[in-house]
Amino acid sequence: MTLHLNGITVTLGRGESRTIALGGLTASFRPGALTALVGPSGSGKSTLLAVAGALLRPDQGQVLLNDTDLAALTDRQRAHARRTRIGYMFQSGNLLTGLTAEEQLLAAASLAGHKPRALRAKARELLAEVGLDHRLRHRPDQLSGGERQRVALARALLARPELLLVDEPTAAVDRTRADDLTRLIARTTHEHGCVTLVATHDPVVVEAADTTIDMLDHAPAAAA
Amino acid sequence: MYLALLELKAARGRFLLMGSVVVLVAALVGIVSGFATGLGNDTVSALRRLPATHIAFAAGSNSDQFARSLIDQRAVAGWTSEKGVQATPLGVAITRGTTDRNVEVDLAAFGVQPGAFTDPGAEDGHRLDAAAPEGIVVSSQLVNDGVHIGDTLTIDRLGIRLKVTGTTGRSSYGHVAVAYMTLDTWRQIRFTTPGALTPPAGLPDQYTAMALDVPADLRGQALADADRRLGTATVALQDAFAAAPGYAGERLTMNSIETFLFLIAPLVVGAFFAVWTVQRTPELALLRAMGASRRRLLGHTLAQAAVVVAVGTAAGAALAAAVGLLVGEKVPFSLPAVTLATTMAAVVLVGLAGSAFTLRRVTTVDPMTMLGAAR
Repeated sequence: MTLHLNGITVTLGRGESRTIALGGLTASFRPGALTALVGPSGSGKSTLLAVAGALLRPDQGQVLLNDTDLAALTDRQRAHARRTRIGYMFQSGNLLTGLTAEEQLLAAASLAGHKPRALRAKARELLAEVGLDHRLRHRPDQLSGGERQRVALARALLARPELLLVDEPTAAVDRTRADDLTRLIARTTHEHGCVTLVATHDPVVVEAADTTIDMLDHAPAAAA
Repeated sequence: MYLALLELKAARGRFLLMGSVVVLVAALVGIVSGFATGLGNDTVSALRRLPATHIAFAAGSNSDQFARSLIDQRAVAGWTSEKGVQATPLGVAITRGTTDRNVEVDLAAFGVQPGAFTDPGAEDGHRLDAAAPEGIVVSSQLVNDGVHIGDTLTIDRLGIRLKVTGTTGRSSYGHVAVAYMTLDTWRQIRFTTPGALTPPAGLPDQYTAMALDVPADLRGQALADADRRLGTATVALQDAFAAAPGYAGERLTMNSIETFLFLIAPLVVGAFFAVWTVQRTPELALLRAMGASRRRLLGHTLAQAAVVVAVGTAAGAALAAAVGLLVGEKVPFSLPAVTLATTMAAVVLVGLAGSAFTLRRVTTVDPMTMLGAAR
């Protein structure tokens, strides 16, 4: 399972506000490895996640996830890929209001076309794996920031994703929880064997990563 | 559907509030519909139960014909000799009477020819008899008011004494219960001057209208020709309802209220789902990012709306039916199952139409907002 980005160019905005977010980026990522994407705000970390995660179609280039070019898929096919092959953990707003931790995972299972009841045991197993087996019935407002991120991680892993995309996982949690979360992401990446990209400013995450990509090295100007 | 139901459960307070509004709107529509039907029945049930297809009024009376129209013997003779047409005179007048047990009632005097197709017969007692012209058959509302077989009913200020010989089902005209009587007795009531106490000699040989049973192949030009020859204006029975006192005004009022409710219902439901959709836009973006297709989100939103609207409408229908049972026969309220079902189906449709206002917003949610890549 590999992710290969080939000559990715993305422009954002229109007219005078038009900017080149990614200019011909080429990179490969191996399975079971955690890659940290670093760089200042606006350097294209989130854009890279969006392109890799089939949320954004690049203007040019290929996004090859195990030989499937995500950039060439239709909207519907990309939505299917997001449901079944890619897991997301966003910086915030990861969870659906009012649903318990267990229901967050069952809702994702339903979305992916599975019978929620059939995946209940798996959901509980994953929540136990991220240390939340005692929080199954808790809603987002009853969970701490770190716990909410763990639920999002468990949910992302439910579909056994080939690609796990994580956006600033430690930005909204305290240092201790950030360290725990970082270790958890690294461990699950190695255990589940998925390609994991983490956009981050956190040196601890960078230290825990197997490889690091500095987006400034791939900035449009540098690329030019 | 699973996710839609999970959200319904999670936001049950909000959906209960919305459901309550739908319940009240549906109940109100049902109640208004019940009153519209009930009032309509109370105004024209006596006309509705006439086994006639048309009513021929005197030409020149264009409104309140049952009060204004008087047809003469020439028209009566002409219509009764019209080939293929069953025709019989009909007299309609509203009056008051008092029984020998001092029960005071308003009554709509319907003069019919005993044995003619307009003769209602009798469910209890004896039917009208030309040989006993003082006999009357009263509708069930008059029985409920305390008028019974064997009573003598004296028409106020006219002194005409009538004998109750039989009863029939519900029948009213202009919200007044009907008493069926012979045409001669009706003419006495219609043409006697109040206070005269004795009918004048030589009552006019005139009636309110002719009740006609016209075969389908004789309608149209044949009727128009007969009208021209006989000096009448014939209308279909349904159209004759508008000639009953207050019928057109009542229908207009009740239909206006119903129409406004049908306009309000989608706006209320639409406003709720618009606010609900705006509130959950970030969650819709999350679902899109997780791979929910636009179609699935649409289905998800419509499923929630359908549950709220359908359950709310069903509860509203039950409430309207309960109101109908509660008021019983004290007020003119009629909500047959078919009317209730049709009305509630319309409420569901307009409710769902209201929720459709929000669908565009649902489909245009951008999953990229979850990443802020465009920041």
